[in-house]
Amino acid sequence: MPPSTPGDAARTSRATSPPLLRRILVTLALVGAVVGLELSFDTLVPDAALQQLALFAMVNVVVALSLNVINGMAGQFSIGHAGFVGIGAYTAAIVAGHLHKALGAEDVLFSNSFIVMPVAILAAGAVAALFGFVVGLPSLRLRGDYLAIVTLGFAEIFRLVIATAQTGGNVEGPVAEFLAYLGGPNGYAGPDRNGVPQYAGPFWIFGAVVVAVIIAWRLKFSGWGRALRALREDEIATASVGVDPTRYKVISFVIAATGAGIAGAMLSSMRNGNPTVQPDQFTFAYSFDAITMVILGGSGSVSGAIVGGVFVTFTVKMIEQLQRFESVQALQAAYPALDLNALRMVVYASVLIGLMILRPEGIFGERELLRRKPKQRADQAPPEPLPARTEAEAHPEAETGPLTGKAEK
Amino acid sequence: MSALDLKGVTKTFGGLRAVGGVTFTVPERSIFGLIGPNGAGKTTVFNLVTGVYKPDSGSIRFAGEELSLLKPAQIARRGVARTFQNIRLFGQLTVLENVLVACENRRRSGLFSALLRSPAFFRDEAEMQKRAIELLAIFDLDQLADETSTSLSYGNQRRLEIARAMMLEPKILLLDEPAAGMNYGEAEGLKKQIRWLRDRFDLTVILVEHNMQVVMGVCEAIHVLDHGETIAHGTPEEVRKNPKVLAAYLGEEAPEEGAPAAANEEAAT
Repeated sequence: MPPSTPGDAARTSRATSPPLLRRILVTLALVGAVVGLELSFDTLVPDAALQQLALFAMVNVVVALSLNVINGMAGQFSIGHAGFVGIGAYTAAIVAGHLHKALGAEDVLFSNSFIVMPVAILAAGAVAALFGFVVGLPSLRLRGDYLAIVTLGFAEIFRLVIATAQTGGNVEGPVAEFLAYLGGPNGYAGPDRNGVPQYAGPFWIFGAVVVAVIIAWRLKFSGWGRALRALREDEIATASVGVDPTRYKVISFVIAATGAGIAGAMLSSMRNGNPTVQPDQFTFAYSFDAITMVILGGSGSVSGAIVGGVFVTFTVKMIEQLQRFESVQALQAAYPALDLNALRMVVYASVLIGLMILRPEGIFGERELLRRKPKQRADQAPPEPLPARTEAEAHPEAETGPLTGKAEK
Repeated sequence: MSALDLKGVTKTFGGLRAVGGVTFTVPERSIFGLIGPNGAGKTTVFNLVTGVYKPDSGSIRFAGEELSLLKPAQIARRGVARTFQNIRLFGQLTVLENVLVACENRRRSGLFSALLRSPAFFRDEAEMQKRAIELLAIFDLDQLADETSTSLSYGNQRRLEIARAMMLEPKILLLDEPAAGMNYGEAEGLKKQIRWLRDRFDLTVILVEHNMQVVMGVCEAIHVLDHGETIAHGTPEEVRKNPKVLAAYLGEEAPEEGAPAAANEEAAT
């Protein structure tokens, strides 16, 4: 006999609430870990470039986790995620810059980050969510590729409006003034143009990752996530069981946009990062990287988004960083024609092609690392013996009796 | 009392009149058959009732409410459940998850509750799972609850679709060719199951089916469509003898010998 009894069937997610004490302990442990990272980050990762790369990877994990909600779980292909990251980055940079100025502080103090970052994060998330709603509502009512086109268009419009804004000379009107204020292609560098204050250290960025992972995980393993995955499989059938596809898609898209906006807030305030927010940080290439992270890790998998985010960030940046090594510089000196930047793209593309051939469903597929083993609950079996099958089905050949046959009716 | 009222329902696709002025009433707690040759518009009627299509004209009333103004999900929540001719399960989801999606609309705790993992979330989840397992047990699928639905046999997939529809606690169940691909014994089993479902859950069942063994055996009233128009209505006995029905299914008896009869027969299949 296979070890399957009626009891062990209910195993989608744990059905009882964990004890409060455990919740508190887990929360404390996570907060402790994040604070510990903040304090020990310089010791753990002494190299400044590597620090920056690690933080950038974490920002990308948040980007991938948020994109995974709409692309992986709900199966709606959004290819303009960089637009939402960009909106969050600009919003947070403006808010953080002004708050920093209002605080009158010269140095970027960790204690002040508790005033600046929450406001910046909330603002970035809210503005990105608003844009997500405006973009998602019309396009998600339709099926298929509309969303892809609209998101791509939205992200490019956002980027180009800022990149091509007139910054010098006669600027008239509030909109034009605002765009000029954002700095056009040179980017936004705070209210006094001396750089966006970089409050987001390991505490905030790793903290964002922890919160994003928890939200993504809980979303996936809830009725909501189930409905989204059902939607991905068959929209008509999902509607036929009372789940409104538009509602679920739009709200998920807003969640994804909010996550991207918060990732943008982290990006613009990132310690040791770029002190200006520039439009060309948010090109289609970045949206494409985000899609790669999700698909490479495994569409719909939270673990996959984390691994994909880290993997893509490091592969994209690794060879850039390698250029600082003496051996690579010697190689470059020996072969001046060697374009290291082009080589980077060749390596990156080869890795992607190889992985997609070997594992077309991504590293994790839809599965997860550390998935809790379902508890066996024998008492879940229905107490009353329900008429599981009709006689006819159990013994089709021994079909007799008054309830059957052509004689009836 | 009538469970469902269609009055002059018409739907055209481009120049094709898929359903032309169809009118019928389905009595409450009856098993109602909707039959006709291929392309007669049976599935279109189902799609109109469930809101997948909007009728061009006519009215579809269920419990005094006009369904043609509602979206598919709203109609489902009112208690109109259906299965599909070509099975539409949520492939990558497990059998249990397939059924659980159907009670998502009745969940009391919302999204925030799920993100906070509040006690209400766990309570809802436990209750839903318990009901889902009970329902799967009725359809003898509880042993397969953790299998992905694509891995099920054809017969099990058909049963899972009915189980999923039943999870909505519907008042009307629309079955689109449930006996497709079944052998004699299985079809006999299906007849019993349909009656049993109706009695146990106080349902109205509307059946689109080609298998005459099932239709004639289980339906209390039958409505026959051909080319989108009503050609007959009545008890199985009446319908069976109706010359128009025979003509639609078997072709007209040719006035002259030879080719025309064969051509008609071709058209009817």
